[in-house]
Amino acid sequence: MKIKKVTALVLASVMALSLTACGGNKNETSEGGEAKESKGVIELKFPTYLAGENVGATFFLPEIERFNEKYEGKYKITVEEVPQASYADKIKQLAQQNKLPVLVHAPGSGGIDTQWFKQIVLANDMAYDLTEFAEENPDVAANWIPESREFCTVDGKLICKPTSVLKPVGLYYNSSMYTPDKDIRDMTVDEFVDSLGDNKIAFMTAENGWTTALMLTALIANEEGGVELLNSSVNDKLWDYSAPAFVNGVAKLQTILQNNASSNTVGAAYADAANAFMSKNAAVICNGSWMAPEFEEGSADKWSNGFNGEDVKATIYPGNIAFANPSSYGEFWIANTATDEEKEAAEAFLAFRDSQEEIEELVLTEGGVAPQLTYSDNFLAELKKTPLLYELSESMNDETTYCASLGDVFPASVADTEFGKLLPKLIDNTLTPEEFCDELTKKAEEAKQ
Amino acid sequence: MVKKQKVKISKLERRNYKWIYLFLLPSLLIFLIFYLQPIITVFYTSLTKWDGFNTPVFIGLKNYMDMFTNDAFRISLKNILLWSLIAGTLHVGFGVLVAFILYHKPKGWKFTRAVFMVPNVISAAAWAMIYRFIFNDDMGILNNIIRKINPDFHIQWFYESPYAFWAVTFTWLFYAVIVTLIVLNDLMAIPEELTEAAKVDGATGWQITRMIHLPLCRNAIGTGVICSITSRVAMYEQIALTTAGGPGDDTMNLPIILVKAIQDMKYGYANANGVIMFILGLIILAIVNRVFKMNESVY
Repeated sequence: MKIKKVTALVLASVMALSLTACGGNKNETSEGGEAKESKGVIELKFPTYLAGENVGATFFLPEIERFNEKYEGKYKITVEEVPQASYADKIKQLAQQNKLPVLVHAPGSGGIDTQWFKQIVLANDMAYDLTEFAEENPDVAANWIPESREFCTVDGKLICKPTSVLKPVGLYYNSSMYTPDKDIRDMTVDEFVDSLGDNKIAFMTAENGWTTALMLTALIANEEGGVELLNSSVNDKLWDYSAPAFVNGVAKLQTILQNNASSNTVGAAYADAANAFMSKNAAVICNGSWMAPEFEEGSADKWSNGFNGEDVKATIYPGNIAFANPSSYGEFWIANTATDEEKEAAEAFLAFRDSQEEIEELVLTEGGVAPQLTYSDNFLAELKKTPLLYELSESMNDETTYCASLGDVFPASVADTEFGKLLPKLIDNTLTPEEFCDELTKKAEEAKQ
Repeated sequence: MVKKQKVKISKLERRNYKWIYLFLLPSLLIFLIFYLQPIITVFYTSLTKWDGFNTPVFIGLKNYMDMFTNDAFRISLKNILLWSLIAGTLHVGFGVLVAFILYHKPKGWKFTRAVFMVPNVISAAAWAMIYRFIFNDDMGILNNIIRKINPDFHIQWFYESPYAFWAVTFTWLFYAVIVTLIVLNDLMAIPEELTEAAKVDGATGWQITRMIHLPLCRNAIGTGVICSITSRVAMYEQIALTTAGGPGDDTMNLPIILVKAIQDMKYGYANANGVIMFILGLIILAIVNRVFKMNESVY
């Protein structure tokens, strides 16, 4: 009898413990990524959002393949595909567990916010100092934009790889629906709104309200003191939205949203806004150069209602304003916890990414400018074959004003959710522009530590 | 008068106590380590300023004071109260109604029960996405049907006040299969003799349901109410994937605030929110226990 009881007790204990074990990590390798050396090849694995349906995948995944091909037998990179919306959460969780992947996307990309980066990563010395890497690779460092390099240098340490390519954000319009008398760049905001007539703009209110935030940035930048307000708020973020430039910009946005927004604006996510534009339900969409491949023949399966990518024109905003923020954290940083082999492979990748060939390939695929680079003749010839990117780069002249976008100056939770959530109330007049700005200020206040 | 008898515990039973405690020990240890310890941590850290990474700093009741002066929190409490009322009445009522219909085994009752179960095997996240399509103004089935009658009808249910609250409510209102199953289980367990005796005494069908079946299912209905209301307090996916608490704060609730606080690296504030949810759960449990007299036997 006693044996039966003891056996039952042991079984009960095993069952209880196995329940706990079920919740445990099944493998011993790092969740964030790993590096292992087999037959002399240093293999590196890290998560990225530049994969799957993300527009950045078009360039990034082939770039990884080119890297693996070039360094065959020495380094090998494999990526773990993570949706953009989950990337930042994953990285934050891995940081808490001290299991950061070797290469991490820089703040300002993939939802990684600068507040977290400063408060957690920099405060706890989790980013590897790339100063030595810069000294050992002067040809690579020469391609970096000086403002970005300065921004990435914190307490004498180079904590991110600075950016080499600026991707100015402008707008696209469908010339078969909307034919402005002159370049939008040379118009005032009022002239632009008048010129639209009944044409619609593809706005969003869901997700982060990205395309709407871009238009609001342009409207604020056209107000007196607007550009200064935006550009001076990049480092410490903008927490108070009661400045006249901001309130006036919101007032103009309200009018545009009520008169010229595509019918699906309320509740529209990015895909809905893009769909409105590529189905001729909207004549204008605000977005960056990375959207240009959507208007090439290869993406024709996304077009409907007689939309033709050849009709799309690119330019910048009224008042000769383009959004670009050279004072940014660049593209990638290396975790301090990585082993020497991992750091070696990661640095090789960063050097590869900033080689002349790769930079030119990036500009040809996603658009942008590399101000520190002397372009090759071949590149210039190829650029002319991508008319939209060429148009966008030609639309900027010596008098163009560059300013940071709201995405660069909003605190993370305001940029990610709160801005978009308040927009429907601005559209249906539940909130006046002043009340909208007050609510936004309250939300920013809540996000403060 | 019935004299209370002192229950004598035999030697054999007393000896078995040792084994009962031993059998309980593994589960108890796991409870202490994996449940009680985190709960205590949540309570303690709710009194601190903590970014989830560095050492928490004790700040007393500041997180709670901030919370109670926050508009979103107050709207959340109002929403939870309304959702709890709807869950405790319409949602549970519908579940009980279906259980009583199924109890009488109409033609095809097993098929109906299986179909009613289907939404429960689909994740809340998937349901939220399905409802985003159903309630979509452009392509949603609901508005397209309404536009057959009124061609100018345009409402984005999840994104416009005051519809968003009701659209979110609709995503769970009629999925009461848990209530149905537990009530049906109790109904099936009612001794046949009781119903037969009532019939012999001339009771009508409605009288049998009202005077015999409903009272005997009291505990099951109470359990259903507890499950439904606590699910509303903890409801996250249905909101996060549809309205994200908007427009403005119209559909805000505590888990959304909790997750947002974590995103803002305010773990202390998030845990204060968690404590409020925990206390709300206990209050609901106490109220429902009292209303449904769940500690008393139904027979």
